[in-house]
Amino acid sequence: MRAYQDMVFSTAVRLTANPAQAEDISQEVFLRAYESFENLRASQKAGGWLKTVATNLTLNHLTRHRKRWRLFSEIFSEDTREEEFEPAAAVFDTVLTELETDERSALVEQALARLPDHQRVPLVLYHYEEMPYQDIADRLGISLAKVKTDILRGRVAMAGLLAQSGVGAPSDRPRLPPNTRGAQS
Amino acid sequence: MSSRDQIDEKLERLVGQVLREQPLQRAPAALEARVLGELAARARLPWWRRGIATWPASVRIPVIAGCAVCVPLVWILSLWLAGHAVSVAAGPLTSLRGAAQVAASFGTITAHIIQSIPREWLLGGLIAAATLYASLFGLIAVGYSLLYPRPQYAKAHLT
Repeated sequence: MRAYQDMVFSTAVRLTANPAQAEDISQEVFLRAYESFENLRASQKAGGWLKTVATNLTLNHLTRHRKRWRLFSEIFSEDTREEEFEPAAAVFDTVLTELETDERSALVEQALARLPDHQRVPLVLYHYEEMPYQDIADRLGISLAKVKTDILRGRVAMAGLLAQSGVGAPSDRPRLPPNTRGAQS
Repeated sequence: MSSRDQIDEKLERLVGQVLREQPLQRAPAALEARVLGELAARARLPWWRRGIATWPASVRIPVIAGCAVCVPLVWILSLWLAGHAVSVAAGPLTSLRGAAQVAASFGTITAHIIQSIPREWLLGGLIAAATLYASLFGLIAVGYSLLYPRPQYAKAHLT
């Protein structure tokens, strides 16, 4: 369990942006693993199995709460303009080249956690879980076009949040405040 | 490939690289203890409160066999009960007719009341209800747009 708990927790917390919920989901994942212990003990694929179960349980958890936010998220979707792409790419370029690993890690996780669910979830599934667009659309029950748009807007929004936190600016600019989403919900 | 596609592709590549390089987040120290505690709590449960797959074979096999026998028995019994119920219900059908007449007269009275209300009042009531509904929906939508934690990524922040 110790070998995989960070991976399972990371999978859940990046999708939920809520450490308390991620901990509950991680516990459920390991309880299920215990039920399948005989099969998993000798398996080379135990890590993959745990990651898949963590992803599925987290998505099930999010789906139960998703109907609340989906309607309004679609009503209030903004257009992403072409001229926003290049500055966003420049921000990520700066993140990669100028920030120390620890600082980068903290800023990126905070920015990711502050994205709205409808942008963060497909973005995480695409970049971390390496799911194709169509699989994400099927899994979330939304259109392929919406998945692509949400991921695109998520990237630009993340760049905006990183820029707000002072990336690419003089070092006296304030950094991103600590994420409080988990504490709020 | 258009310039937009090129920039989009570059953005995708950069974001992918940034996210892939992120280290795993450390799980809470209490997670292991929580899991072990839950396993211990489950182990303390009596066998009959756990899943049937974990029941002793000496109990599980008779239960499954009993269920298998029960299915045709319940089917036969329900058919017999249905036939019996039809014959028994033939008598009270007359009282049901009386109840239907009462319901019909209630409907007639309601229709008369509605007809006696001026049409302008009915139309006004419908419009008022629709307006209230639309106002409430708009209020919730505006509240959502103000309170929902959406990132603000004005161009000024990107440049």
